[in-house]
Amino acid sequence: MADMEDTHFETGDSGASATFPMQCSALRKNGFVMLKARPCKIVEMSTSKTGKHGHAKVHLVGIDIFSGKKYEDICPSTHNMDVPHVKREDYQLTDISDDGYLGLMADNGDLREDLKIPDGDVGAQLRTDYNAGKDILCTVLKSCGEEVVIAVKTNTALDK
Amino acid sequence: MEKQALAALESAANIILAPPNLVSNEQRHNAEGVFLGFRKSKCPYAVCRQILETSNSDYVKFEAAEVLKCALIREWTFLQESDILSLRQYLLHYIISRDIPAFVQDKLLQVLAIMVKRGSVEDFGQDRGNILNDVEALFINGDSAKQILGCKLITNLMQEYAITVKSTDVGLSWEVHYKAKMNFEAVDLKRIFQFCVQVISEIIKSDTPFGDNVNNLLKHLLTIIESILSWGFMASSLPKKLIGLYEMVQRADHAPSLRLGMQWKSIMFAPQFLPLMFQIYWKVRDNDQLSHHAMTCLVQLASLNGGIMAEHTDKMLYIGAFMENFLKLITSVTIKSKESLGISQITKNIHLHFVHDVIALPKALQESYIDDLTRLTCCFIEGAATEEVDCDEKCYMDSFEIMLESWALLIQEYRQVTNDFLGQAATCIFNTYLKCHLSSPDGSRKQGTDLEVEEIEDDEDNDRTKFKDQLQTIGLFGRIVPDQALPILYKLLEDRTNKLRSHLHTMQSQAMSINDSVTLDNIFEDIHWTVLIAGHTLCMDSDGETPTIPSDLMRYSMDMNAKGLTNLDESLKVMASVQQLGNDAECSPLCDHAVRIFADVLKLCAIESSAAEVKLGHFMSPEVSCTLMWFLKRWSLSYLLPTESFYQEISPVLIGALGKDTEGANFVMNFVLAKIQSNICYYNSEPILLRDTVELFSDVVGIKSKSLYIVKTEGLWNLINLQSKLQAGMLPVNIRRGLYKGFVLAGTALKKDDEAVQYYDQILKPVQQRFKGVLCQENFNRIYQQDNIQKEIQDLLECFIGISKGATMGTVVILFKFLGPILSELPVLLNMYHNYQVIVQMILDLFGQCAKNVLCYLSVADSNQLYETTYNVVQVYAKCNQNRFSTEALNEEGNFQDLCLVMDLLTYILSKDCLDLNPLINQEEPTVAASDVALYGLRFIMPLMTLDLLKYPALCHQYYGLLTLINDIYPEKVCALPEDMLRKLLTSVEIGLTQFTADVAQPCLDFVAGLATHIFKHSMKQSAAYQALMPFLKLIMDLTLSQQICTDMVATASLCIYTLICCYSEQYQMLVQNMIQMQTDPAVAERLATEFNRLMANVPLTCDRHKLKFRDQFDKFICNVHGFLLVK
Repeated sequence: MADMEDTHFETGDSGASATFPMQCSALRKNGFVMLKARPCKIVEMSTSKTGKHGHAKVHLVGIDIFSGKKYEDICPSTHNMDVPHVKREDYQLTDISDDGYLGLMADNGDLREDLKIPDGDVGAQLRTDYNAGKDILCTVLKSCGEEVVIAVKTNTALDK
Repeated sequence: MEKQALAALESAANIILAPPNLVSNEQRHNAEGVFLGFRKSKCPYAVCRQILETSNSDYVKFEAAEVLKCALIREWTFLQESDILSLRQYLLHYIISRDIPAFVQDKLLQVLAIMVKRGSVEDFGQDRGNILNDVEALFINGDSAKQILGCKLITNLMQEYAITVKSTDVGLSWEVHYKAKMNFEAVDLKRIFQFCVQVISEIIKSDTPFGDNVNNLLKHLLTIIESILSWGFMASSLPKKLIGLYEMVQRADHAPSLRLGMQWKSIMFAPQFLPLMFQIYWKVRDNDQLSHHAMTCLVQLASLNGGIMAEHTDKMLYIGAFMENFLKLITSVTIKSKESLGISQITKNIHLHFVHDVIALPKALQESYIDDLTRLTCCFIEGAATEEVDCDEKCYMDSFEIMLESWALLIQEYRQVTNDFLGQAATCIFNTYLKCHLSSPDGSRKQGTDLEVEEIEDDEDNDRTKFKDQLQTIGLFGRIVPDQALPILYKLLEDRTNKLRSHLHTMQSQAMSINDSVTLDNIFEDIHWTVLIAGHTLCMDSDGETPTIPSDLMRYSMDMNAKGLTNLDESLKVMASVQQLGNDAECSPLCDHAVRIFADVLKLCAIESSAAEVKLGHFMSPEVSCTLMWFLKRWSLSYLLPTESFYQEISPVLIGALGKDTEGANFVMNFVLAKIQSNICYYNSEPILLRDTVELFSDVVGIKSKSLYIVKTEGLWNLINLQSKLQAGMLPVNIRRGLYKGFVLAGTALKKDDEAVQYYDQILKPVQQRFKGVLCQENFNRIYQQDNIQKEIQDLLECFIGISKGATMGTVVILFKFLGPILSELPVLLNMYHNYQVIVQMILDLFGQCAKNVLCYLSVADSNQLYETTYNVVQVYAKCNQNRFSTEALNEEGNFQDLCLVMDLLTYILSKDCLDLNPLINQEEPTVAASDVALYGLRFIMPLMTLDLLKYPALCHQYYGLLTLINDIYPEKVCALPEDMLRKLLTSVEIGLTQFTADVAQPCLDFVAGLATHIFKHSMKQSAAYQALMPFLKLIMDLTLSQQICTDMVATASLCIYTLICCYSEQYQMLVQNMIQMQTDPAVAERLATEFNRLMANVPLTCDRHKLKFRDQFDKFICNVHGFLLVK
């Protein structure tokens, strides 16, 4: 439950909801949509109809942007679907604390220390690169109140 | 042979044949090893004979036969003639006298056939003649088992000779294979044919049904006759590549036509021959096992051509006799669904090969032939309709389609001469087709499955694609009898329109029942098909040519007008009345028929729009709407604003109603544009319908003579205003870009510069202002991630893509003035949105479209500007994605899509170097080469091209395609690349040669050959490229010798090897020495050395035309070497 409350608190900052409606037929591949109440990236989108003279229905296959789980849905093309607000921002990694929190600096210099080092491969890569003293950029994915480091990139001389 | 060895083989055989639960994997593996070892034995002839004599295991006997085959192919040249003869005689005797299982027998027969073929290369078929004598003797003296054995032997022999290009198995070069085949054809094929026909003619003298033995024998004999009649007789002048293709097609079961020389005359023209062949079919017709083969014989005989037909009288006699027998057959039986295919193929073959002769046949014969054709066609149409509902088979449908092809050939011929045969046939077939697609009571359409079927995926083909070919021919029939066809069509349309209208009227007041919805679906289906048929009758497929009004219909319209049966005034009135929906009044009979059908379709459009306006749109059928859009497109392209100079004669009604500067044309244009507008407003939830709508729009404005008028219509400006009011994110993907492509295309026809500038200002300024408005917001840096901003950006990018897609030579200057500054903003935008894939891909796509559609017309300065922004965009993309590690699901798939777009972009950029249409090309010299841009871009992108990504076939092809293209145009630039880049490039070429399929390896070979040629011609021995390319000599040699390069590519590989040898002759010598020294057997080493000497004999290393000689010698070299180098 705590998570749920967090959700409301976090997205409430601009007074907007976590999603907005969009006509199903106007969605596009690689865009986002809520499927089974989860924010998903649309990986497949096709239309079909019931009977030869029927109206279009949209068949959506989406991947949960956080868990990678696959969801599907089919709905009449005239209906509205919820589309999640999805934000991805890059931060400079400044520090990894002993208890596994990341020190991150935004482009405008704002600092934050509320995100944990992610599990799995990205986390491992992050630690290795950090220990090797590399200059690291973290991409933070944020949607529906969840927030997680989704990608890391080591800067080279080519950048910036 | 020692008993032990035999016992070992037999126990291994037992293990291989044992059920899986009794032996372990390892045991099985070992047993397989035993046989693999056995296959490599040298001079195994005595051993194999012994096995055949003494072994109790059939499997071991089978393996012995296989070992014999391999050894014979490998060691043929070392064997004594007498040994071969004795082995051959032994095997034949063994097969005839022993009772052995079929699989062993078949293998032994194959060995025998291979021996005969190899022998025939030296004795020109003498031995083969002896074998055939033996076979004939079997027939005279033997029982049916012996006779069947004889047939099998013949079949095996024929198989060995049939294919030349792919049969390198027998260790002969292609030329030798080919000579052997020609010899076989000239000497023995005719003899076999004659003999088999003779035997069959005796057999079928007895009464049916035949016994099992006889049926079995018949099957074998018919198969032989069938394959002779389908034999690939080939002119000797064709190059190997063509013959290879030909043989491939032939094996894929497309028999070539029967092309025979003079020497077959006595057989084919013997008076009793054709009746006999038909009689054979007649006798075996009820036996499914046999009838098919007999039918194929008839189909092939209907295609007889070649030198044999040199005399016209022979041809007439032959086709006359064939027709007589054929008509006898089809008039005296009810055609079964299975034989319908054969029958239709026979007619098609007749029309393909004898059409001139058919129309010269006696009138009575022709007449009854046309009657029968018509009857059969109608019968197949009806059969096809039943099939669709009742069963999965498609025999009738296929036969019907072949029949239509066959008609098309005949009609073409008949139209050259005046006659009245066709009218009746055309009416009959047209009506039957229509009837089968209409619901009762007018038609006989069964309650089909697809009207009720639960889900239909939209990527399935729609009817107009699926049945395109048949609809085209039905339209052709309709145009033969316009006085019949057009009235039927407009009556049907008007009837169904009235029904639809009254239905909608009822539904406005009461709820719809299930019954209603079935009725409504039936009305829709009827309308759908009637419009499809009408569209194909009124207009022809133009396929890239300028669409025009078909001459038959022009004539018809003129005749009707001349007779006073139609006039312009009434036609105009009917057109003007299409929007009066309440009015059920009869249409004026004085309206031109083509105009009337068109007016009916317009009326349907009006009903649809008005239904949407009163919120009944959900009752309408999107399928029908799509068909209406398609009809409007077709009709507008041909009939609206016809260009008078295209026609010799022109109907006053059509030109008066739809010609330029007429009120009618203006009305129609505005109507069509209003319909487009209405669809976009009311049916924007139907992606397919909108796609068809946009297609209608951009196709019509794509024709200058029409767009010149369209830009002046009120309808166009209404459409422009309406769509500009639609908010971003309302329309399905790709619709906005389609509209903008149309708007831009429409202005192409404006001749005066100021007119054009003014027009494009009106179209482009608002978009530009929107773009500025978004980007110039003070807080854009903070709000760019907001969804509404993103949506706006996406929508604008859609507009830009559309605009670049509509660019033409005449408008590109104006358009680039607009696009240029926008493009230069995009690298920054890309950097900002690099985490948002949709926008990233749209930006890449936009650049790709500009490079594809705009770049080729640009001046030097503008090109340079586009190059620079492209540079920047690719660089930003690479920067954002280098060293990036993500756990996002399907991250790789996303990268793949991005990279495909980048590859597209670079390829299009490069094409500027091949095709530059800059009008000032003669006055200015390009300052930056497109290839440098492409290479520079590639340099950024290569680090992102991982091996995993290259495993996506589409990306793989694009990548290697681009490499080869660059190398083709500018090998010097590739040579001059920095060393690390060159190394990376060559590594990927090496990967391309070894890791993927032939279609990737092929461009890689071209790449290497191209680079090597450049290095050789410019004597670049000191260069880095020279060093870097060197390893490829050994690599490609090894790949070719170990058969890792497929046989199709050996020719390309050999050219590549030749150029490499030219560059690296010393290294080549060393390579050869090494290979020879590595051989343990001195005899092999010696042969290898000889072969290498022969390979290079008389081939100067000049890297020019001598490569062809090398290619031929290499072909022989590979054949000879494979025999002993690769003991498989």
